Amino acid sequence: MAIGTGKTYKVPIGPVHVGLKEPITAWLDVDGERIVDATIRPGAIHRGIEFMARDRNPIQVIYLAERICGICSFTHIEAFIRAVEDAAKIPVPARAQYIRTIVLELERIHSHILWAGVACYTFGYDSAFHLGMILREKVMDVLEALTGNRVNYGTGTIGGVRRDITPKVEKAIKDMIAFYKSEFSLFYDVAVGDPVALARLRNVGVLSKEDAITHCALGPTARGSGLRVDLRWSAPYEAYADLDVKPVVPQDYTGEVYGDVYDRFLVRVLEVYQSLEIIEKCLEGLPEGDLMWEPKLPKLLSYLKQAEGMGVGSIEGPRGDDIHVVKLTGGQENITWWKVRAPTYANAVSWPIMFRGNDVADAPLIINSVDPCISCMERMLVTDVRKGSKQVVTKSELLQSCREKTRRLMGA
Amino acid sequence: MKLERYIDILSKSIWVFLCNSGSCNGCDIEIVATLTPRYDIERFGMKLVGTPRHADVLLVTGPVTKFMANKLKRIYAQMPDPKVVIAVGNCAASGDVFYKSYNLEGPVDNIIPVDVYVHGCPPRPEAIIEGAAKAVMKLEKMKEELKKAGAPK
Amino acid sequence: MSRCKPEYVKDSKKPEEVAGCLQERFEDALESLEIREYKGGISNEVQYKDMYLKVKREKFLDLIDTLMTFDFLHFQVMSGNDDGDVVTLNYHCTLFRSSERGKEIGLCISVAVPKDDLRMPSLWGRIPGVEYSEREMREMLGVDFEGLPNKGLIFLPEDWDEDIKPWRRDDTGPSPEDVRELS
Repeated sequence: MAIGTGKTYKVPIGPVHVGLKEPITAWLDVDGERIVDATIRPGAIHRGIEFMARDRNPIQVIYLAERICGICSFTHIEAFIRAVEDAAKIPVPARAQYIRTIVLELERIHSHILWAGVACYTFGYDSAFHLGMILREKVMDVLEALTGNRVNYGTGTIGGVRRDITPKVEKAIKDMIAFYKSEFSLFYDVAVGDPVALARLRNVGVLSKEDAITHCALGPTARGSGLRVDLRWSAPYEAYADLDVKPVVPQDYTGEVYGDVYDRFLVRVLEVYQSLEIIEKCLEGLPEGDLMWEPKLPKLLSYLKQAEGMGVGSIEGPRGDDIHVVKLTGGQENITWWKVRAPTYANAVSWPIMFRGNDVADAPLIINSVDPCISCMERMLVTDVRKGSKQVVTKSELLQSCREKTRRLMGA
Repeated sequence: MKLERYIDILSKSIWVFLCNSGSCNGCDIEIVATLTPRYDIERFGMKLVGTPRHADVLLVTGPVTKFMANKLKRIYAQMPDPKVVIAVGNCAASGDVFYKSYNLEGPVDNIIPVDVYVHGCPPRPEAIIEGAAKAVMKLEKMKEELKKAGAPK
Repeated sequence: MSRCKPEYVKDSKKPEEVAGCLQERFEDALESLEIREYKGGISNEVQYKDMYLKVKREKFLDLIDTLMTFDFLHFQVMSGNDDGDVVTLNYHCTLFRSSERGKEIGLCISVAVPKDDLRMPSLWGRIPGVEYSEREMREMLGVDFEGLPNKGLIFLPEDWDEDIKPWRRDDTGPSPEDVRELS
């Protein structure tokens, strides 16, 4: 295997990625075992959602916005509602702002624990995966008690929220926080403090600070490279206006920053602790008051019908900033146009940079580290140009090679 | 016959292949949650495999986009008989909120024949387990018919 | 005009200062400028401010370079609409993302592109992160970006007919036969 002889093979990955946000097609240029370059071609899940919204009124579009992504569904509702409230100049009562913040933070916890479990599964640590999934069930129970469903909550509405936090729900949230403070440290020791995980993830998929800035990286991907960016801090919205949230960066905890997969892992696990503190403070300071600006739906719709203007709503979701732009025209009930930019698309531009110089066996780990919801790669076709033979490598074999590398590092 | 009796007479555990044809991932996460220790479908021996050539059951989620339509047909053709298709979620059954678009080919039964529908947005893990149990019973019936027609065991 | 290095500044400027600077430099080419305030929390005080600008196409690159001297412009998304005889493009960006609490300025820069001359200069050389947005505007609205290296389709499937632009409302938009009703 002579690196640098100039012969590269093109290896396609995808598109049937079981459970990825998109079955994305990626073409890797491979020289031996090292990846030289990569091209990404998205587009398998394009459903034409922005086109569909042209003949629906703003209340109907809430339920369409929720189903853009199943993991960060409340994030999309929140950004859309803020965009409409900006365009139509609708104020939100204080109690509704606090309840929205609590649901946003609960969603962040569940998304980060899910990602941490799947990342451990990818490099062969199955017991950490199952431990993570058991821990996650506690926050799903709380979400079900508060909103009525495990996924796709439907709690937000224009001008407020639809469900209240009753004393029973408050007790459930407090129990959950106490549970996580004692039990989550198990996962922390097992996954982040493990020397095999450190050896496997260090210096894999590096994204430097300059590249993160010019390629507009967001969320934990940018924070893992050392940038102090967080929309909850630089442009506070909802209840974050009364709280002091600081961006979590690795150099505050370990002293130095590499910008690799391990740093992103560390940032996400630490953000779980940050979210637990935020929920506690919100529960203490929960004000009394109305839940909605206008509880009667026909009055709200007739107000929106004569509203005019363009509004922008951008909030910090579990993967980065989510931004929705909406234009309303006076005299028309339907919205004129709508633009959504989910955070994964901005992070996907940095994938080719992260792939360079790494082994093919690390490819599942790098794709997963940017957190495109769930990631499992389905099928790879390895073409040997010299011999003219093709060999189909399945997902299980690809994952197997990812785990074999871990065993080689452990010296087994 | 009751479910427990059928599981006794199964000759081999059911292997499942999952195909996401354009969904929002909510149903896929509930499927992953079904594998985990709280709901634990692995105690019936069902597990996810990486290729349709080893699978008995195909799980499909999502309204089918134009890009994924012929890939879904190829995956269905690669599975050996007898096979069962489960459409998980409201999108796969009828399109749910995604009616009227320029890039969608239709609910799953326009593309491949479906045997079991599991409704919900997303369906709870308990509902997915019940759907899998009905698929097991249907698969057993298909195997008996093949045996009667003289196929080798 | 000196090109900005890829790093974020620590000291932010007030939106009124930035607005004054731009109005001085661009005068008529800047067709409108509006500052919006956002309130939040129990006390309902102003938390952060945003700016909405409208500029002519000829001075667009000049405006971007002027903004880059304050801080490295972070690009978020491009949105657009078909407005009769022009196509309006909105560029959504932010400044001062990493300086202090509550000091981020969100910008929305609107440009009107006439339909008989659908061209815009590409920002790819300055900010490589705009690649996906410019490709999307090209396939959905038909605007050509000069200087963008990879102009292929991004979200539509490979066998899509390139003359149909899904977001246009005139005869290049999708006809009723192209839109399927599922149920």
